[in-house]
Amino acid sequence: MAKLRVLYESGEPERVIEFDPREAPFQHDGRPGSILDVLLGHGIHLEHACGGNCACTTCHVIVKQGVERLSPSEEAEDDLLDKAPGLTPTSRLGCQAVIEDPDAEIVVVVPRYTINQM
Amino acid sequence: MALEREGRIIRIVEHAPDTRSLFLRSERLPYRPGQFISCLLPVGGETLIRPYSLASDPEEADLEICLNLVPGGVGSPYLLALPVGAPIRFTGPWGTFVLERAPEAETIFIADGTAIAPIRPMLHRALATAPRHPLRLLYAAESERRLLYRAELERLAREHPLFSFDHVASRALRDEVARRWVDADADRSRRFFICGVGDIVPALRDVLRRAGYERRAVQYEKW
Repeated sequence: MAKLRVLYESGEPERVIEFDPREAPFQHDGRPGSILDVLLGHGIHLEHACGGNCACTTCHVIVKQGVERLSPSEEAEDDLLDKAPGLTPTSRLGCQAVIEDPDAEIVVVVPRYTINQM
Repeated sequence: MALEREGRIIRIVEHAPDTRSLFLRSERLPYRPGQFISCLLPVGGETLIRPYSLASDPEEADLEICLNLVPGGVGSPYLLALPVGAPIRFTGPWGTFVLERAPEAETIFIADGTAIAPIRPMLHRALATAPRHPLRLLYAAESERRLLYRAELERLAREHPLFSFDHVASRALRDEVARRWVDADADRSRRFFICGVGDIVPALRDVLRRAGYERRAVQYEKW
């Protein structure tokens, strides 16, 4: 089973999900097996204003562990991340970063702010 | 959680049998030309998130979204069935595909089909902020009669010497972009704002960036 641990800059309690990536998709938004898909499919909210279509940055997460176990980012994701507040070298869009490895242990932080909304 | 708002449909304009603009009245919403709202649609016992670019100008009182029926989709049939007076919940504005003033370079807007929606307020803003360089719109559609806002665009082209508007069949869009702005000259100082649905958008991005246009000079939004 893969493990996804979610920490929140806002101070909300952390969440941990264990799941089998081969069962993706877990719901209908974002790429199947993406961090967004896993979270929403397990009842955990992650903002995704564009519906998980790689058209905004509201699902920005900072990967603290296991970034090398995620699908590599594509140009469209990198272009959007350029505009994300608090960008870090391990920033990803939750709707695009897919967890394929059934033994992956991923830790992400959900930032407090988004500049998408005025 | 994002702040939820509610608008009410106050007018429906039918562009074609499967394409409409819905005008929403809500509390005043500050936004930037090119941004979108995310409609929260109660369909099948759950809430679907469906983003729609704002085709209206931020200075207008009402919000306009423009959509067509997506074959096999669930969001667009719901919205297109709503009557005048129906409420729509939404969040936003969202998005970083924006233009707030006329760029200091020749600027090319490329839209495919209903993706003219975010380009329209961008173009209005560029024209309203003393442009000093040419502004060109290349608008692709399945056929000429599917062009939205055509009369308005033609009027703007007559009124503004720096603005020109051409249309092209969607299937010819990629080749036309390469012909005009890659093959025709070596000028790579232009700015691009591209919006469309599906693979044509990254295809255009790649044609332009690989030809030498700066990454940040090629802005795009893919739906």
